[in-house]
Amino acid sequence: MTDISDAADLIATAREALLSELLPALPKERRYLGLMIANAMAIAEREHRLGSDTERTEAARLRNVLSAGGSLVASSATAASCPDLTALRRTIAAAIRAGHFDDRASECRLVAELLRTAADRVAISNPKALHP
Amino acid sequence: MEATLDDTAMAATATAAIERWLRAETRASSARITRCERLSGGAIQDNWALDAHIEGGAWHGEHAWVLRADARSKVAASLTRAQEFAVLRVAHASGVIAPKPLFLCRDSSVLARDFFILERLPGIAAGHRLTREPALVPDPDALVHALGANLARLHAVRPPRAELDALLPPPANPALAAVAGYRSCLDRLDDAYPALEFGLRWCERHAPATFDVALIHRDYRTGNYLVDAGRTSGVLDWEFAGWGDPREDLGWFTARCWRFGGVDREAGGIAPLEPFLRGYESVAGHRPSRADLDYWQVMAHLRWAVIALQQAQRHRSGGERSLELALTGRIVDELEYEALRLISAVDA
Repeated sequence: MTDISDAADLIATAREALLSELLPALPKERRYLGLMIANAMAIAEREHRLGSDTERTEAARLRNVLSAGGSLVASSATAASCPDLTALRRTIAAAIRAGHFDDRASECRLVAELLRTAADRVAISNPKALHP
Repeated sequence: MEATLDDTAMAATATAAIERWLRAETRASSARITRCERLSGGAIQDNWALDAHIEGGAWHGEHAWVLRADARSKVAASLTRAQEFAVLRVAHASGVIAPKPLFLCRDSSVLARDFFILERLPGIAAGHRLTREPALVPDPDALVHALGANLARLHAVRPPRAELDALLPPPANPALAAVAGYRSCLDRLDDAYPALEFGLRWCERHAPATFDVALIHRDYRTGNYLVDAGRTSGVLDWEFAGWGDPREDLGWFTARCWRFGGVDREAGGIAPLEPFLRGYESVAGHRPSRADLDYWQVMAHLRWAVIALQQAQRHRSGGERSLELALTGRIVDELEYEALRLISAVDA
């Protein structure tokens, strides 16, 4: 805990003020906009807290998938040649489209890792949408 | 001065131009617009509530109509007003519960863009209300039964139809055509989406080998039909209609992403699946299998994700800065999550 507010605390506090004090004072036709702003602030606050961990974990998972993935993938792109997440996503996406994860074992591993990452991202965008 | 529609009120010049055109269309001695207000909703089309007073001719009397015009930003794959008017005519004539299309205007001297007039129906479309306020839907099973039967009446329209020759021809394989179309949308974006690519590859590998081709709506879901006194008064928003696999509409209607406040009610967040399928079967004579529904629900999530990415792009590119578009981009995470969950469950 820091003495002064960090970005996440500023956004969270501003959002509370919006919801408790501004929203009730808004005319009915502006209420939806007020709720959208509150939602955007909530996402930004969660992303500030969780975003960098989520991206680091996603990159590690994609590297795993690439190195464990089919021989075709390993020969065309190694983990070392994909330094950042954007490039990793692009490499995996192209390999998926080319059918390099079609065998059952690769597919199972891939979908499990993609699903974990998707759940992490939903925990930022809309945690209410997660379900057992 | 060119006649235009501005953001809130219809310019007097536009109103006068429409009145002149309506008088000719209805062969009346006079046509007067007594109210013209923009309707909410419809991120793509521009809809106006139009009240008209017609004197003389077959249309003599008071009318509650909707004017539907092209909006400024065009979405790929959506129909022109003339195509949509033709689709709506065929659907309406086939017994589909939908607003009756009345007059089409392609004369650019009237509004500077194409538009048509259709009857204005009573009711509420808002999905978040219909799925949360039981008073609006006292008999949910009956509502989804009627929606199922209604959809089957649309799917009874089969190619070729001369009135619909302006539509794209039926695809050789609807599922594979969808996969190819969504991939080319993804290829126009800056980032790559492994989860969506995985879903599309799965849909490609599991594409049904046999299928019917029918007139499908492509946005038949809660939020796009009006409910009045508990019953559907009409299906709206026909701009994505075309020839396709009827199961695409069934997957779209039942997909989790269109259930609003009723995620556990598979028929559009309104009711369980069974009465919906029973209604469909009562007209079509058959119903989709569970595997069919699973497949087209996966496709529904992928399609919505691709559309959401395009909307996010409209905002991000700076062309149309909008909080609503920005937030639409953030639902892609949920759509990927649902598509992957569905695939995992099916493959397990």
